[in-house]
Amino acid sequence: MSTVRPVRTGEQVAAPEPLVTIKSAAKVYGTNQGLAPLSLAIHAGERVALVGPSGSGKTTLLRLLAGALVPDQGTRSVIINGKSPAELKPGRELASLVGIVSQRFDLVPHLPVLHNVLAGRLGHWTLARSILSLVWPMERRAAQQALARVGIADKINERPGRLSGGEQQRVAIARMMMQSPLVILADEPVASLDPARAEEVMELLVGLVSWNENDGSSQRTLIASLHTASLIRRHFTRVIGLRESRVQFDLPAGELDDAVLDELYDLGDDTDDIEPLAGLAARDG
Amino acid sequence: MERAGIGQSHPRDGARVRFSALRWSAYAAAMLVVAAWAFILLDGDSGFGDLFRQRTWQNAGQFVASLAGADSDGPSPFVQAARWRETGQLALNTLAMSVLAMGIAGVGALILLMPGARNVSDGTLGGAPSRTGRVVYAAVRVFYALTRAIPELVWAMLIVFFLSPGIIPGALALGIHNLGIVGRLTSEVVENLDPAPARALRAAGASSPKVLLYGVFPQALPLFLTFLMYRWEVVIRTTVVVGFLNAGGLGREFRLRMSWFHYDDVGLLLVWYLLLVIAVDVLSAQLRRRVRWD
Repeated sequence: MSTVRPVRTGEQVAAPEPLVTIKSAAKVYGTNQGLAPLSLAIHAGERVALVGPSGSGKTTLLRLLAGALVPDQGTRSVIINGKSPAELKPGRELASLVGIVSQRFDLVPHLPVLHNVLAGRLGHWTLARSILSLVWPMERRAAQQALARVGIADKINERPGRLSGGEQQRVAIARMMMQSPLVILADEPVASLDPARAEEVMELLVGLVSWNENDGSSQRTLIASLHTASLIRRHFTRVIGLRESRVQFDLPAGELDDAVLDELYDLGDDTDDIEPLAGLAARDG
Repeated sequence: MERAGIGQSHPRDGARVRFSALRWSAYAAAMLVVAAWAFILLDGDSGFGDLFRQRTWQNAGQFVASLAGADSDGPSPFVQAARWRETGQLALNTLAMSVLAMGIAGVGALILLMPGARNVSDGTLGGAPSRTGRVVYAAVRVFYALTRAIPELVWAMLIVFFLSPGIIPGALALGIHNLGIVGRLTSEVVENLDPAPARALRAAGASSPKVLLYGVFPQALPLFLTFLMYRWEVVIRTTVVVGFLNAGGLGREFRLRMSWFHYDDVGLLLVWYLLLVIAVDVLSAQLRRRVRWD
């Protein structure tokens, strides 16, 4: 079942020790299989796309990685950089290990963009510093730089409600820059954006992998769920197809063709009353 | 009668049954209205008939005239600057009482609004569910119910029992009662918040207090201030009632002047009272407009 392979990116050979190890992690919600036992190894610097129809376990997998869910086999079945995210308390250690961007941006509507971006630092700050920052924003320069990087430096004092969907997702990405985790998770980050906006946001997300606020020395890892073959081919190094919460294929992103994707999204005979999502995937050129 | 209008097999029957039920209800209601008025007007003890007597209206007219200072001994208080100053001081006291009351209610509700929200205590908004949280939640809700259930007038009667008369007992009574109202409303705002932003902060590594501080508090604050301003309008009106109980301000003076038959002074107090109510209404509306985002 597990198809673990070292992936070569450019001349750099992937480290022998994977950054992310999933050992037959599963999640059952009541009688629903959220995720069947699944094993994966992902190395630092990889950009992994998760594809699969709704309900195939992409979100469950991401939430397991984020430590928001505890795998049924115990916390040690998901290991990132030697640690189990579900075992870590919220704070600096978890914040610098793993972060997540979701489809619904999830900004705080009553706080200005600046504070929403600074919220990425909450895991690193003390409580006193967090309280103080509500009144006198801390690390304002870093937030300005992050916003400039995602191209909305002028929106620093706006409220999220006044921004377009693409701009809100940029704020979420700027927040992720402030958090600066080793592993960046993204749950359908471009699902609610038009193709042009999706391309821009994807570029920014991929840019985070090699971005470092200090010197760009350390490499991050991106794991994102999405449906668009062209985006995957352009921006990712590896693509994992999930279906009914099992790994269907695990390919270098370049080898993904529309036929493979169509087959993945076609749910088969017994469930053909469900509209296949293949159209979504095949839409791009 | 059957379930009118619900049966699908005989829609026409259903419609007829429903219509006649409606018609009979209307007849019955009309008869009740007629009978009730007949009882009130024919029964001499109700005093309702007084409303239609000329004497009543003469008395009322006379009273209004004396309120306006028609039968004052000496110069009317309306033309004495000293009387305006004295009563103005009382109006200021009343305003102070209302502000103090809102301060008590506001600070109390601000402290309790988080522990009093179910989704905070059970960990839905980030933060671990704990037994302490649930116990505190129950305690806060009981406290809200208790303070809200006992009217401010009763609170004032209890409090003047052990506090010396003045604006403090009045403010305390109004503050405690409104703490229950504002606190409960705000806690319910928190319970209806979208949990997604709080979860995102959680995922960014924020601990429970930080999640509440960044994800919950800023969202609840504007509505909290709005409730507080609304209640201020109610409180400034109630200060007079509470003042009756020796609790100071315009209310106490109002009661004293009434019992001394100084109707012209009562008229002056009413003028101040009206000015105060209008001022607070305008101010509260302005402040509410300020706190509204977007």
